[in-house]
Amino acid sequence: MKNAHARWVIWSSLFVGLILYVAPLPLSWRWFRPELPLLVLFYWNLALPHRVGIFSAAVTGLTLDIINGSAVGALGFGAVISTLFILLNYQRIRQFDTVLQSVAMGLLVGLALIIERWLHGFLGMAGTGLGFIYSLPATILFWPLVRNSLRGLRRYYEVE
Amino acid sequence: MLVVLALCLSALFVFRENPRIAPLRTIMIDATATVYEIAVAPRDAWRGLTGYFQSRRALQEENGRLRQENLVMQGQAQRLVSVLAENSRYRALLNSSELIEGDVIVAEIISVSADPVRHLLVLDKGSDQGVANGQALLGAAGLMGQVVTTGATTSRAMLITDSTHAVPVQVVRSGVRALVAGVGDIDQLIVRHLAATTDIRIGDVLVTSGLGGRFPPGYPVATVTDIYIAPGAAFATVTAVPLAHLDRGRHVLIAQYAAADATVTP
Repeated sequence: MKNAHARWVIWSSLFVGLILYVAPLPLSWRWFRPELPLLVLFYWNLALPHRVGIFSAAVTGLTLDIINGSAVGALGFGAVISTLFILLNYQRIRQFDTVLQSVAMGLLVGLALIIERWLHGFLGMAGTGLGFIYSLPATILFWPLVRNSLRGLRRYYEVE
Repeated sequence: MLVVLALCLSALFVFRENPRIAPLRTIMIDATATVYEIAVAPRDAWRGLTGYFQSRRALQEENGRLRQENLVMQGQAQRLVSVLAENSRYRALLNSSELIEGDVIVAEIISVSADPVRHLLVLDKGSDQGVANGQALLGAAGLMGQVVTTGATTSRAMLITDSTHAVPVQVVRSGVRALVAGVGDIDQLIVRHLAATTDIRIGDVLVTSGLGGRFPPGYPVATVTDIYIAPGAAFATVTAVPLAHLDRGRHVLIAQYAAADATVTP
């Protein structure tokens, strides 16, 4: 036993996801940027639903809001809703095969983003259209990679 | 869970315009800039390394080229002084307000905002250096955008191509005034609310008109690329390309501009 629960692995993986998310890309490539922090969050929701839940989702979402310069709380709200969905269905989602699971994750990320845009519209911030769905294919493609690497980390550090 | 959701919702309203938490907002903006700085650290390290090993000859060549450029610019600046003086005399003759040109701050672009539908830049100068919300962002070739949030040592600027941004402009050739809005596309702008009979042609250069008092007048913004007049429609659909290289370059100018009559209230 190295560390009681090795919870630092969870938080540092979220932080690394955040750093990779803001890593510089040419402006015209930005459509292919996966929503990495949300994927990392959803992985931990699936793997350790008793450990990473609503509160972590709110913290991640609020951080993303601040990073993106959008209304603070919008994506926080969206991430909490998506996480709630995972917490209620994690046993089922775990049984999905890779393709179905990736699509499910893409839909959940899309749900969080749609709620964010909806709250933006609600606040009177001008709508940016449906542009955000362009990032979903990349998000779906990245899910197996994120899942497998985080699973390796979780087993190596015995995160519980 | 409901508590967390309610907290998120209340944060939406508290963080928007509440002056009491302005210091907190400043801290948050600077903290996010740190995240961006960590993310670009490998790139900057690589640039530093390649810069360090750049050959002496390449540097000398660049220096010579910059000297020449500087000489040409200085020559032009001398003419500019006399032209400015002449211009202000004409303005005095016309009884129009004299334009006050403020200083400019050179800022470096730390990063581009990660959110793909918003066109935001993270800059390395903040309120400590005199940056304030609403100041215009200028590139070498034209207007780039404006500062939207200011931290103590960093700030964020919205590009003119952001779909929530608009600039009052004027057609250089005919003097027609219009609004140029972004559509969320880095190389496209749309000229809004132009009547179908307006005198505008493909290739026309649009410059800031200075109306609204936010942008300094006379800076090039875009060139008109396409005009479509639908039969029966009241407005023409006019698209333009931004003149500034929005996705290139590392340095920008932040213009501290105040129109002479900016204090006049309606």
